[in-house]
Amino acid sequence: MSNIELSQINRTVIATDSGLPSQSSDRSLASTSRLGARGLQLLSWLAPVLLVIIWESLAQVGWVSPQVLPAPSKVIRTAFKLATTGTLLNDLGVSLLRAAAGFAIGTAVGAGLGILVGFSRIAEAAIDRSVQMIRAIPFLAALPLVIVWLGVGEAEKIFLVALGVTFPIYINTVLGIRQVDPKLLELGRVQGLGSLQLIRRIILPGALPSILTGVRYALATAWLALVVAETIGAQSGIGFLAMDAREFLRTDVIILTIVIYALIGIAADGIARLLERRLLAWHPNYGAAR
Amino acid sequence: MNVHVAPLFPASSESGPAVVVSNLVRSYGRRVVIERLNLRIERGEFVALLGESGCGKTTLLRALAGLDTIQGGRIVAPRRPAVVFQEHRLLPWDNLWRNVSLGLQASNARERAAEALTEVGLGDRLDDWPRNLSGGQAQRVALARALVQQPELLLLDEPFAALDALTRIRMHELVRELVANHQPGVLLVTHDVDEAIALADRILVIRNGAIAFEHRAARDGSTSISRAELLGELGVTSHSPN
Repeated sequence: MSNIELSQINRTVIATDSGLPSQSSDRSLASTSRLGARGLQLLSWLAPVLLVIIWESLAQVGWVSPQVLPAPSKVIRTAFKLATTGTLLNDLGVSLLRAAAGFAIGTAVGAGLGILVGFSRIAEAAIDRSVQMIRAIPFLAALPLVIVWLGVGEAEKIFLVALGVTFPIYINTVLGIRQVDPKLLELGRVQGLGSLQLIRRIILPGALPSILTGVRYALATAWLALVVAETIGAQSGIGFLAMDAREFLRTDVIILTIVIYALIGIAADGIARLLERRLLAWHPNYGAAR
Repeated sequence: MNVHVAPLFPASSESGPAVVVSNLVRSYGRRVVIERLNLRIERGEFVALLGESGCGKTTLLRALAGLDTIQGGRIVAPRRPAVVFQEHRLLPWDNLWRNVSLGLQASNARERAAEALTEVGLGDRLDDWPRNLSGGQAQRVALARALVQQPELLLLDEPFAALDALTRIRMHELVRELVANHQPGVLLVTHDVDEAIALADRILVIRNGAIAFEHRAARDGSTSISRAELLGELGVTSHSPN
């Protein structure tokens, strides 16, 4: 009896839901369209710009000591000075080179293992468990061991970056290959594709969205690994610049290095997005509208 | 075995069967799905295979396509058959001509794909992407992809089941036309009795893994068998006055 009543109540609720379009959602839609996409874009920039202005004026008035937080204008001046007379560009180059080398090695190892495991159940049985176990270690925890093995030179830094990159690439490569639609593989066989053609025409393109997701993750971890590696015993690089500045309480340089790390992170992500848009133009979730 | 050189989809000059199946056995573990089945399809002949779900009709098609291993018997086909599945199975990352020429070993692949696409009425969409197609258009591309291989045996696995009624009728006309032009042997797996009557020269009903009923259409293409009769063979007793 109560069940019947309940189900009737449910039905009436559903009926009103579908009968009357919910008015509140209509209203909120109207308010967003009044501002327009450009208005919203402007609004989203308003808060950060205000923040910088407030920061600058507080520093100019002298309410905040430049030892604690130098004015943005001071940071920019420092950037120019270091770029023209100092070693900023050299340090930047050294850091980028480390990141690139570690990223290349990590990608090669991760993708290589991933392809092997993705295609072969035997390789999976042999390799996957070990990789998953190593992956469970936060790779930064391995830092002391890496320093004991390789010292605090270039090898240690590149190794740490490669370590951080390998796992996201590996996991997403395996996942991508395994997720390829078996119906398309069957089609490939029906159309008479050989193994190599099957890989080139169906498996790799099918796995690519997942692999590129791995690349984006890997870029983030590569950067994180580099920051940590350069903070410990570096003789050059952006991290060295920051640690050196700490010795002399040059807060402006420290902030400059933080901003540079952020900008390069954004640039790396932008490159990854560009790759996705280019390579996945066919994909409804990535490609530019055609 | 037979080597065909261009032109595209030559009407077969030779006679001879498109496929001969003898004593075919297919089982999953101890469950036998197809039991000593015999079937012969001539070139240019359109055979429809009817049967309830799970009767083994798709299993037979997959065996003919070489997608499953068989446990006994022989399948003799002059060359690899072409298949159109229920889903279009177009590669979303390739444009239409690349999709149609998938697996085509020819230097003029784009040209051949263009001709095939023209034949199915999509000759102006060579560089378009699969996601911009309607269901019916996508299935027409799948047909073009099958026919560009100049098959002597064309396997159709319920290719129109997911289409709306109007599109389905148009597809029937298109398929009839294409088959008349290229003369492959056709095996159409369907559970649509009307479709079988509309298209086939010969209708087979498969039951318990063997062919239980066979009907050949008259020479002029008219089919004397009634819908009710066929439904009866499928175990459906119709109570409607017609």
